[in-house]
Amino acid sequence: MDAFPILLSFQVSLVATVLTLALGLPLAWVLARRRFPGHDLVEAAVVLPLVLPPTVLGYYLLVVIGARGPVGELLGGLGIELAFTWRAAVLAACVGSITLLVKAAQAGFEAVDRRLEQAARTLGRSEWNIFWSVTLPLSWRAVFAGTVLAFCRALGDFGITLMVAGSIPGLTQTMPLAIYDYVQANQMREANLLSLVAVVTALLFLLGLGRLARLRF
Amino acid sequence: MVKTILLCILTLAVSVESPAVAQPKQPVLTVYGAADLTFAFREIAALFEKGTGTKVVLVLGSTGNLAKQIEHGAPADVFFAANASFVDDLQSKGAVIPETRQLYAQGRIVLAVPRDSKLSIQRLEDLLRPDVKRVAIANPEHAPYGRAAQQALQTARVWDALKPRLVYGENIRHTLQFIETGAVEAGIVALSVADTPAIRHVPIDPSLHAPLNQIAAVVKRSTRPELALGFLQFVNGPEGRAIMKRYGFLLPGDF
Amino acid sequence: MLQLAVRKQLPGFTLDVAWEAGDEVVALFGASGAGKTLTLQCLAGLARPDRGRIVVNDTVFFDDATGTNLPSRRRRLGYVFQGYALFPHLSVADNVGYGLHDRSREERQRRTAEMLERLGLTTLADRRPRELSGGQQQRVALGRALAVDPELLLLDEPLSALDVPLRRQLRTELMSVLREWGKATVLVTHDLAEAFQLADRIVIYDDGRIVQAAPKSELLSRPASEQVARLLGVRNILRGTVLKATPEIIELSWRGYVLEAINSPTRTYLPLPGTEVAFFIRPEYVRLIRKDRPVDPGHHMNRMEGAVVREVDQGTNWTLFVRLDHAGAPTQGEHDLEIEVPKLVYEMLEIARDRRWAVSMHRGSIQVLPAA
Repeated sequence: MDAFPILLSFQVSLVATVLTLALGLPLAWVLARRRFPGHDLVEAAVVLPLVLPPTVLGYYLLVVIGARGPVGELLGGLGIELAFTWRAAVLAACVGSITLLVKAAQAGFEAVDRRLEQAARTLGRSEWNIFWSVTLPLSWRAVFAGTVLAFCRALGDFGITLMVAGSIPGLTQTMPLAIYDYVQANQMREANLLSLVAVVTALLFLLGLGRLARLRF
Repeated sequence: MVKTILLCILTLAVSVESPAVAQPKQPVLTVYGAADLTFAFREIAALFEKGTGTKVVLVLGSTGNLAKQIEHGAPADVFFAANASFVDDLQSKGAVIPETRQLYAQGRIVLAVPRDSKLSIQRLEDLLRPDVKRVAIANPEHAPYGRAAQQALQTARVWDALKPRLVYGENIRHTLQFIETGAVEAGIVALSVADTPAIRHVPIDPSLHAPLNQIAAVVKRSTRPELALGFLQFVNGPEGRAIMKRYGFLLPGDF
Repeated sequence: MLQLAVRKQLPGFTLDVAWEAGDEVVALFGASGAGKTLTLQCLAGLARPDRGRIVVNDTVFFDDATGTNLPSRRRRLGYVFQGYALFPHLSVADNVGYGLHDRSREERQRRTAEMLERLGLTTLADRRPRELSGGQQQRVALGRALAVDPELLLLDEPLSALDVPLRRQLRTELMSVLREWGKATVLVTHDLAEAFQLADRIVIYDDGRIVQAAPKSELLSRPASEQVARLLGVRNILRGTVLKATPEIIELSWRGYVLEAINSPTRTYLPLPGTEVAFFIRPEYVRLIRKDRPVDPGHHMNRMEGAVVREVDQGTNWTLFVRLDHAGAPTQGEHDLEIEVPKLVYEMLEIARDRRWAVSMHRGSIQVLPAA
């Protein structure tokens, strides 16, 4: 049995989680702290990836980033392949898990006393600075919980990844896809073994994260 | 400390190649194939690898899904469909090389039950019996073997009565799994995957459905069209045909 | 120097105020919801007025005519929030030094240490806000605001979160800090005593508008109108009819008595005879005439007689509610006048037992209020 799917899955999930944080935290902050026309619509739209069937989500993504899609053509012209590569797996994992982070972070930010941010403003700090020195430290538990959830969701993504990255062994076949493949091919021994490894590794990782969180704070 | 970790992850993110992928020294051929080719192609691919020193990556699934992915740029070099219409569709979209289009097999469907089943199912009409609660076929929307199963059931005039009891597998492998695990009492699968100890099967009269002419073609985006064509010809050559025959496929020239 | 004119519309409330102040302590006084904190927020740049102009020490903070709206962080101010808004995740020292992020490390440490010492917080430098008492938290909040050496200091109900004895003590401390600091300060409070003790000038808010802005000395003695007097919590606000008005005195008829009041030397008021006017006399200025002493017309002006119908123990004083003898309904419910006497006087004169008394009011203590 081959270790590639496990390594790929962890790599993809870590990168996807970073991407999720980079996109999701600003979005969560804007939703928490700013009212604008269409605010409620955006808030609802953020939940959509959780509501839509993964293969449907994956299909629409494929249409956009595939060889015939606008993004795919643009990137193709620049020599960058997206669909059917590990990068597409990252995109799939990110899309599938961003809702979890945004919702958790948004709730966390909203719970921070606005007057603390106002105080910081009067003391001369910029909005960016206030986010890092006041808002985030006071909401880190919510953000952390959201990140862990997003990471786990990224690790387990199946339907979206299958559509945009395909289940190409040795290239884009992540752990969930590999397990599914084994089951379909009736190779139950391999399927069970890979599942066991998946569960144990994920558990160890999460326990480690939990320990880290307690130590640091 | 947190910043350093973030930096590492970021570097990982912008790396162009996935470090997890070991760069193979040999040429790689990606073969997209219908699920019914699972067992046959494993052997054929192994043989081809040994003979040519090429690494063959097999991506198997339901013909319809694979075709859609190829349409959107999946990295297939050659595509072995379980019918003709999906290849025709790709051809009309300019996704395959028309000159390479060729028939490589004709499929057969069989009626199968789990090995330890107490039921005796010999004909399609037997599926209407009350102790047959669920029947599995591949999804007729995108799996040609599913479509053939539907046609056969319609010809035998049992389709309407049976419909409420049908369970659809994503592809032939998936359908086989339903039967193997006993999740369903009976099902219709490809002959080429039916030779597994977990099930018992009887043939279905091929005149009950449109012929499952399985077409293959080289994908236009392939970076190794000659190699792809070589593989296709290997499948249709003496060694390939021998293996295909063993798995119950009818071959061009034999029907 | 501070000039403020602000108009802001909120659902169900309009703020429309204008006032000025020099390098002094200004108290914005009024009931909750009158617009005081909103004004402070406009000053600080945390709320944006619809129209108006705010200028502090020649810097334009806001001007809707030119579209100027200086962001908070450029206004160089110190703001002590109601409830203090201390950063719970930072130590006392880090809280105090929070505004000094753009200085060098040494300067930051130096100024923080100085401020901590000035406010007696050095031993608490590493504690978290939640470990501190209310008074200590208030000092940290003050230190944080002052550490940046602001041009303007804003305080929102700085003492209201504390209990009474502590409040009194801190009021004194705060007063000395403010005096020492010496720059313009705007203070919001609903406590009159606090406003009087800490401020030089008082601006009275009522439902989004200013009813009077004046140095404090002028305020109690010369409220601009009956409304202001009521807002100041003045008691014994009464209504009488003018008999005669000259630049020196005003003669009124009230409850069948003729009262004589000195007219204001700075703001002579000459109502026509027959006009109904409001006037007040502060409870502590109504004199009980001792029965063992002779009546002295020079001292005992505006004499009246009546009986104590009710009294309330105020701790250090007694408030007596007196109903006068003349026929007619009493003007304030059950009583005509409220009188305040120190406990000693109450006991010496045996008021608990002896209920009938003659009272007098010096003509200088009767304040006639101009119509609002």
